[in-house]
Amino acid sequence: MSPLEFISVALDALRANRLRSALTMLGVIIGVAAVILLVSLGEGTKNYVEEQFAGLGANILIVTPGKIETRGGPPIIGAARHKLTLDDSRILEKKGYLFGGVAPVVFGAAEVRQGSRSRNVTVLGVNKDFSPVRNIHVEVGSFVTDSDDEAKRRVCMLGRTVKRELFGNANALGQVVKIAGTRFRVTGIMERKGVSLGFDIDDIVFVPVRTAMDIFDTDALIEILISVRNKNDIESGKELARSLLFKNHNRHEDFTITNQAAMLSSLFTILDTLTYVLGGIAAISLLVGGIGIMNIMLVTVKERTNEIGIRKAVGAKDRDILFQFLLESTALSASGGLAGVLVGALGAGAIRVLVPKMPVAVPPWAILLAFTFSVFVGIFFGVYPARKAAALHPIEALRYE
Amino acid sequence: MESAPGSEPLLRLRGVGKIYEAGEQPVVGLEGVDLDIFPGDFLAVMGPSGSGKSTLMNILGCLDVPTSGTYEIKGMPVTRLSPEALASMRNREIGFIFQVFHLLPRYTALRNVELPLLYAGVGREERSRRAIEALRAVGIEDRKYHLSNQLSGGQKQKVAIARALVNRPSLLLADEPTGNLDSRSGEELLAILTRINAEGSTIVLVTHDLSIARNARRIVYIVDGRLVTPEEYRELRG
Repeated sequence: MSPLEFISVALDALRANRLRSALTMLGVIIGVAAVILLVSLGEGTKNYVEEQFAGLGANILIVTPGKIETRGGPPIIGAARHKLTLDDSRILEKKGYLFGGVAPVVFGAAEVRQGSRSRNVTVLGVNKDFSPVRNIHVEVGSFVTDSDDEAKRRVCMLGRTVKRELFGNANALGQVVKIAGTRFRVTGIMERKGVSLGFDIDDIVFVPVRTAMDIFDTDALIEILISVRNKNDIESGKELARSLLFKNHNRHEDFTITNQAAMLSSLFTILDTLTYVLGGIAAISLLVGGIGIMNIMLVTVKERTNEIGIRKAVGAKDRDILFQFLLESTALSASGGLAGVLVGALGAGAIRVLVPKMPVAVPPWAILLAFTFSVFVGIFFGVYPARKAAALHPIEALRYE
Repeated sequence: MESAPGSEPLLRLRGVGKIYEAGEQPVVGLEGVDLDIFPGDFLAVMGPSGSGKSTLMNILGCLDVPTSGTYEIKGMPVTRLSPEALASMRNREIGFIFQVFHLLPRYTALRNVELPLLYAGVGREERSRRAIEALRAVGIEDRKYHLSNQLSGGQKQKVAIARALVNRPSLLLADEPTGNLDSRSGEELLAILTRINAEGSTIVLVTHDLSIARNARRIVYIVDGRLVTPEEYRELRG
């Protein structure tokens, strides 16, 4: 008997019991669709996070004040808790031969007022390097320049949201706004960046870093961003920054240097794991579907005992019977798997349309995996009933009514 | 025994016995059966129910193997064949006709007749051609696309004969073939069997009904698992 004939015999048998076949398949359909949907959600989440960080670049080092002690325990008494200052930034800039840009950042919150309109915003004090390092650019006007910074000019660049709230559609460039009661000239409007990880990048006002230190009356930086010129030098760049700051801080390591790429990759590892866990949970429902197949195949073998006897009487070998029933269970699970792929993909599409905020991305590997797994389930759970059928004695099978 | 001297027997049974190990006490199904069946024979195996005639038929048809003695088909010992080899023996050498027809109900007459060819590995077109030929031989070609459960008993049994004939077996085994038929269909069926025997087929007919058995050229009697003479049979049954 050729494989094609086995398949046609199997499909005939499934067609003979349409409703039963469909219900049995439903278990597999739900299982496969669940695998695809959950994996798609996991993958979508990963893509979403990836997108949010996309502008950041993989070659960024972030210096923050204070030492994050991985070993825990209280800080040693007397250990100097040094701030990060412009002096640190200057040293990094001067001696950091591996660095493309060094961007000290001062953070503040202030009220911005224009005429009768006002808004509470985040104010970041930055230098000219901030723009290329963070990949945020002005749309019109110009960003902070060195001379702005050195002269502590009262100039500011407005994020899109701030501009709209204060000026509406009117031209803002060259206008004057009050930040924390001080008059600033608007010299730039930032390009639209949108929300990144819940933080509205468009709701920020940028000013020169020294100006920010003035208005917030501080000399402490919240962080220093460093871009390493060559991606491969990330580790040596980190070491260079560490040794420069270590020397500048009187041999105290009271700062932390984070590698953006390393942080992201560990985040992605977590997200990958999450995807696998979700897929694994869904796969359990596929197993349950498989048990449904085994159950119905056992019933089928019982019901068709006489048929098995007839086939054996006219010359079917044990393995012919085995293959016939194995193919039937596999056909059940494979067609269930195909339908499940369809349902899963349609479901993912429906989510994308109905809940646009929910990130879904159907990865081809998930489709392949879910389908392969469903076929495997059909074979695995079909073996026992098929062996039972094959082992029937022809005389007893013929006598069975 | 008698008949067709000179030619080699198609089937040769010597001291064939069958003991069933069911339950605590072994049950004797057959005991010391010696039987030769020659090509072209039309043999009736006659016996009451429980006499062992079904056991004998199962062994002749390679559905079962004896627990003692030897059984040869065309000189080939069947006694020690594997289930696999028995299956191909049934496929190539034996055609069955059962009392309850044993057709696949969801299949058309044609596909039922094709079944032995399917397991013989015959290709689709050849299969269909030979199945139609077999259906024509028993005069039921016009019902080839009917599902078997849409046919009458007589038609079903004709399809069964076509199925038994289709792979040109050495032996046709009919187990109470008229048992579920009305008398007219029964007579028609026996006429077909007589005709195909005349055309060269070897037939073994198992029955408890002497009037049916008389259609055969030769009758053997079986009681309590042993072959007996007609006189002994009358005595035991009397």
